[in-house]
Amino acid sequence: MTTQLRNALLRGKRRPRNFGAGSPTNFRGDGYEFAELRQYVAGDDTRRIDWAATARAGTLQTRVVLEDVALTLAAIIDDSPSMQLGRARPLTAAATEAMTTWYEAALADDRCARITATGLVAPLGMRGFRSALACANARSTGVTLALPRAFDIARAALPRGAALLVVSDFFDLPDDADRMLGELGVLFDCTALFARDPWYDGLPLGGFVRLQDAETGAQRQFFIGRKQRAHYVKSVAQREELLSKRLGDSGWRTGLLHEDDGRQSLLQAFGLR
Amino acid sequence: MSFTNPALLLVAVLLCLACSFLLRWVQGRKSAQTLAYTNLAFLDAAVAAPVWPGRVLVGALLLSVALLGSALAGPHLTARVPAKDGSVVLCIDTSGSMTSQDVAPTRAEAAKAAARTFISELPAGTKVGVVTFSTAAQLIQPLTPDHQAALDALARIPEPNGATAIGDALALAAQQLPNTGHRAVVLVTDGVNNNGVDPLEVAKFLATKHVPVYTIGIGTNDSGQLIPGTNEAATIDEDALRALADAGGGAYVKAADAQQLKSALAQLGRTTILEKKKIDAAMPFAFAGGLLLIITLFGGMAMGRIP
Repeated sequence: MTTQLRNALLRGKRRPRNFGAGSPTNFRGDGYEFAELRQYVAGDDTRRIDWAATARAGTLQTRVVLEDVALTLAAIIDDSPSMQLGRARPLTAAATEAMTTWYEAALADDRCARITATGLVAPLGMRGFRSALACANARSTGVTLALPRAFDIARAALPRGAALLVVSDFFDLPDDADRMLGELGVLFDCTALFARDPWYDGLPLGGFVRLQDAETGAQRQFFIGRKQRAHYVKSVAQREELLSKRLGDSGWRTGLLHEDDGRQSLLQAFGLR
Repeated sequence: MSFTNPALLLVAVLLCLACSFLLRWVQGRKSAQTLAYTNLAFLDAAVAAPVWPGRVLVGALLLSVALLGSALAGPHLTARVPAKDGSVVLCIDTSGSMTSQDVAPTRAEAAKAAARTFISELPAGTKVGVVTFSTAAQLIQPLTPDHQAALDALARIPEPNGATAIGDALALAAQQLPNTGHRAVVLVTDGVNNNGVDPLEVAKFLATKHVPVYTIGIGTNDSGQLIPGTNEAATIDEDALRALADAGGGAYVKAADAQQLKSALAQLGRTTILEKKKIDAAMPFAFAGGLLLIITLFGGMAMGRIP
């Protein structure tokens, strides 16, 4: 499955720019994997002329090969207090599964990076699995990741064409972040997994309840009746739809992070089962 | 409303203030018994939670405390209740003009039917007497607490005939009424006095004795009908009746048809003989406060919290 995920990234709409690392794409370019023979045209690299084929055909023949690239897999995983909640387990558990699956796609000369609250984690000199392991184990303690700051770091530090995974509930995504999202969508192959509200199908609350904001610690009392529960379900669905449209319009691939299976959630975002 | 111990009202105020501060403190403190939620701002918008249930509960709690506190101060309500020592004399016009048919079937028959309703509506224990008048006044039922006897007496009302001696009727009624207690005279007539003493003088005399005169004007001025057997138009003298009621400290009501007459007399029957009475409201206050407190507490628990 991770191979399919990697292939999906290689054939994605944003071409990775780390050439010559043993992962052929669909595009013609510099690489090792033979694609076809065609008649020489002016400007072709003379080193690509197939002399045996030229002898057989009587005219100059050029070997066309597939572009050979390596992926840069980057991830932003929201570990804020709001992601520590969940119905059966914290949303961060599913987010970690999604991240692990994401880094498992790293092979050969692929490079991995992770943006945490403390900054960019990009293991120097490491490639493939080792690089993925280092990123997956990266921890930021005591500081909460802010999405806008993480996006700034990504824009400044990641190479063009990198595959960027963002797993978050997107509650701290500013209303005026569309331009930033658009820029990231152009620069990178962006995938957003937004954490589905644990109670998306109905609040298990009734009457007066005292609730605490996981992020700010503020407490408030609410009266939740049947009408409010129905309204809540509708609002959650609307938010998912709006967020999906907003990210989709910015050129992002989107999917829902289900609390029970983060790996499957990521694969579903790529249309893989 | 008055209070036996108004100073104790301060206790009620202090109780309400204490409750109010307690509620504020309870609602404001950080409680360990809270549920964590990802984003309260989103939840607030998502559920569009109404604020009225909380306010209603708090309001009901404060009201119940206020009622209980007020009960300590011994509240008394002043109400108008039917007087036990009430006496009323009903004077019914039986002059020739009462044969007019502008009020169906005739003014006299309609007055008789309405008188029946009036007596039926009188509070039990109220003494009632019946006087009829035409050329002279006639007592057909002395004051009696037996309302059935008064109803039976209505059958003895003579057929309409003769002149209209309103003043004589009022004077006869005045003779019947006791010197003390709650008293009233109710006059049912078409109002054209043409015989006997001046009714206005008698009404003024009654006013000095604190006996109000209520006048019911029966008939219409614009029906175009004649009094049977005469060439006179069937009219009523509203101005005279209004003047009588004003002089006697009562009220004037016009009844243009049988139904209006009936309802006017029924209303008078219920309200003519009333007295102001102070009612001890401590128990009702305490009961209402206690009941409201129980409802609030159970309601609060059913809705997930005690306010």
